[in-house]
Amino acid sequence: MTETFTRAELLRRAGAGGALLTVPGLLAACGGSSTKASTTSAGSTQALPKTITFSNWPLYIDVNQKTQSHPSLVAFEKHYGVHVKYLEDINDNDSFFGKIEGPLSQGQSIGRDLIVLTDSSGLPGRMIELGWLEKLDKSAIPNIKNLQPTLRHPGWDPNRDYSLPWQSGMTGIGYDPKLTGGPVTSLHQLLTDPKLKGKVTLLTEMGDSIGIAMLENGDDPAHVTDATFKKALDMLQKAVNSGQVRQFTGNDYAPLLAKGDIYACLAWSGDMVQLQADHPGLKWVLPDKGGMIWTDNMLIPKGGNAYAASVLMNWYYRPEIAAEVEDYVNYICPVVGADKVLEKSDPAVAKNPLIFPTKQMLANAHEFDVKAVNNPKYKKQFQALIGG
Amino acid sequence: MTAAVRAVRRHVLTGYAVLALAYLFLPIGVVVAFSFNNPKGRFNFTWQGFTFKNWTNPFGYPGVSSALKVSIEIALASSFFATVLGTLAALALVRYRFRGSGATNLLIFVPMTTPEVVMGASLLTLFVNWRVPQGFGTILIAHILFNISYVVVTVRARLVGFDRHLEEAAMDLGANEWVTFLKVTLPLIMPGILAAGLLAFALSIDDFVITYFNAGATITFPLFVWGAARVATPPQINVIGTAIFLVATAGMLANIVFQNVRARRAAAVGV
Amino acid sequence: MRPSNTFGGPAGEEVSDTAGVGHQERVRTLIHRRKGAIPYLLLTPGMAWLLVFFVVPMWYLAKMSLSQGLFPLFSFGWAWGNFRDAITAYQTQFIRSGEYAAVATAAALLVSYPLAYWIAFRGGRWKNLFLLLVIAPFFVTYLIRTLAWETILSDNGVVVHVLQHIGILGPNDRLLATSAAVIAGITYNFLPFMVLPLYVSLEQIDQRLIEAAEDLYASRAQAFARVTLPLSLPGVFAGVLLTFIPAAGDFINAQLLGTPRQYMIGNVIQSEFLSVRDYPTAAALSFVLMAAILVLVLVFARILGTERLTVAA
Repeated sequence: MTETFTRAELLRRAGAGGALLTVPGLLAACGGSSTKASTTSAGSTQALPKTITFSNWPLYIDVNQKTQSHPSLVAFEKHYGVHVKYLEDINDNDSFFGKIEGPLSQGQSIGRDLIVLTDSSGLPGRMIELGWLEKLDKSAIPNIKNLQPTLRHPGWDPNRDYSLPWQSGMTGIGYDPKLTGGPVTSLHQLLTDPKLKGKVTLLTEMGDSIGIAMLENGDDPAHVTDATFKKALDMLQKAVNSGQVRQFTGNDYAPLLAKGDIYACLAWSGDMVQLQADHPGLKWVLPDKGGMIWTDNMLIPKGGNAYAASVLMNWYYRPEIAAEVEDYVNYICPVVGADKVLEKSDPAVAKNPLIFPTKQMLANAHEFDVKAVNNPKYKKQFQALIGG
Repeated sequence: MTAAVRAVRRHVLTGYAVLALAYLFLPIGVVVAFSFNNPKGRFNFTWQGFTFKNWTNPFGYPGVSSALKVSIEIALASSFFATVLGTLAALALVRYRFRGSGATNLLIFVPMTTPEVVMGASLLTLFVNWRVPQGFGTILIAHILFNISYVVVTVRARLVGFDRHLEEAAMDLGANEWVTFLKVTLPLIMPGILAAGLLAFALSIDDFVITYFNAGATITFPLFVWGAARVATPPQINVIGTAIFLVATAGMLANIVFQNVRARRAAAVGV
Repeated sequence: MRPSNTFGGPAGEEVSDTAGVGHQERVRTLIHRRKGAIPYLLLTPGMAWLLVFFVVPMWYLAKMSLSQGLFPLFSFGWAWGNFRDAITAYQTQFIRSGEYAAVATAAALLVSYPLAYWIAFRGGRWKNLFLLLVIAPFFVTYLIRTLAWETILSDNGVVVHVLQHIGILGPNDRLLATSAAVIAGITYNFLPFMVLPLYVSLEQIDQRLIEAAEDLYASRAQAFARVTLPLSLPGVFAGVLLTFIPAAGDFINAQLLGTPRQYMIGNVIQSEFLSVRDYPTAAALSFVLMAAILVLVLVFARILGTERLTVAA
């Protein structure tokens, strides 16, 4: 049936190739001045626990290869005198949810204060509905003001009461101009250009493939209706039947594109940053009529220490800390001001529109309707399309 | 049939066997080659140039070394316990006739016919129902579980071909049953036990599915590779994969050499 | 099954010093004893483990397969309809699993028999080394191996170009993301499960029987067909079974080398457990799969006899 276990899920995290440029001066600088500011502005007298447990995806935070440590976390521990147990144990939204739902449904703690899940999987929204998340302690997160304006009001958590983005990414079109003989700028072209026949892949994520098809049709992917869903589905079905579409993939389009097995595909921005490091000729664009944006969200599972988790969130919403993470991860930074910090230390990253998209790009990137993702009827129809 | 035809036939078969072995090693060759790749990005998909740097810094990614350590610990512990439990069971099954041996055979056989997904998911159900926190312990339990059956059948195969007269001779010469077991039986079935242990080790260190369901927050090497593959396929993963392959192969090779030496010495003594 | 006596040297050639001052009283009786507590004592730890961690979870799973309701609240209720629904909804994947597993098993037999034959009869003192070579590739983590296959089978790789050149593949055909790739992956990954039992049964054949046949003027082909092949059949059966069973339940090959069009029943079970979270359906599917496999095992058991089956395995 579905994308379950593999890369098919949300495998779109990436980062810069091993080379990691920490921001040594910055840390020292911020350690001094902003310290007091944050404690006072937090305005809370609560005590932090000895240990905060934070589950994240692998290779999704800054790394110092020499010391094999995560500098931004080390700095946090030093600053607050707490230990952060950092686990890289989330491989896949669904499987991770499968692991934690047992205890959570029985009212047991899962032993974590902070976890990171993707909005387009539908799971963060579902956890809110099930009452499995703690509210953020916003009094401890003054830096929430640095959240990208476009990410402030997602449909599934309109006031960000339960979630804060860790990273985000965009879904657009990746292609190799040497093989396509020119730019590929629309889904229409992807699905009909005879030069691309059999050399095109789409994504097994419903929100990505259906979402972009809806935009192509001029429909709103944030509010899916039976009619707009069907129209998008039919358009993709036609291209599948004609043999234009080779297959639906998770991020396994990446080796295919790198090796020239496919010419163009729906692709995630973060993967492209990595691919471009070795294949500078590859291009990535948001389709003319718009692409999709998704976020990986920090969430506090029931039983976690909401205050401590919020303090940690606040730390990562400091522009200089966010910049340090971003310099390694190379996805899209949700924290305003991080690019300013990086302009001095690593201008190449700061100027990369795949990492710090322009306002125009952000305006052209849309969220997908989370309710539609959780709708079993749509799920089934989409599965029939990709597996039929 | 002429000698020429025979010779050709002989070489055809040898050629076929060589091709079959080449087929087995083809992907391993690719894995080893790409451990020397030098990609600038985090994906190790296409050849970008030769380097030794992955080999000089195999643990460049934090998490790799701890994941590997967990994998090795689990593989050692689970293969040890499974080998002990399985060997005892195999002895009982081959040496004794008793009520319930049919049911016991079935109980040993069915886990081997159970798809990994099913075994993993059903164990998860158990641990959740019993409120057992998942982690190192639950992985170990699961690995011992799926290894036991393989150990039993492997050791049993060795015991079935066992010459009982040797034990009788020992007892005739005055050894008691315990001494006979330690000095005669055990050394003779040792190759089978070692083979079972190695097999259990291999199954454990490579297991992904069952581990995934029962790992909790603990990360084994295959889990790390799986998780990282969505973000990156660092060449260091190939380095460690190659290293596990080399170490395991060396271990098995040592076992073979050891057995051969013993066999030759025994032959020299004239037994 | 698996490497049964593979790594070891020839059996029973050595007796260590028969020392040990014994007390004659209890000698002898023990080994041949047919009753008593000892076999149970030996079995208890291992079987207890299997009971607690295999049978009990299966019991929970059985209850779940007859439950109904929506995630996360399921309640037990003899919902036999789960089974009917599961089979009708996923017929395609069930049939596909059977087909892929059957083709892969046949291919594995074709590759393995001559190899096992060669090792058993031509391997000489290097037998164990060659067996080691058969197993060694499987110490490289499954996922890394499969990624390597992706590289080998790439559209622009040597394999595809050669196949296109000799006309097996058309100029626009490919290997990746096809049934052929999935079957090839399964064949490769379960090959030791075929080679080892074949080797064990071939190696046990008394060479003198073959020589005798030839002395009686049988041709090599006749000697093979009348002597070697029949004697190796238990190994063939065991190998077929041990390859087919995990192959039918596999999902990783279809997921990595195929597309959703190649998904097998293992992928469905996986997805129902982890993605759709329809546990009753997932549990029902699991039991249908296990039942299908057990029927197969019983058919084999009738052919071989249970004892031989489990021993060969």
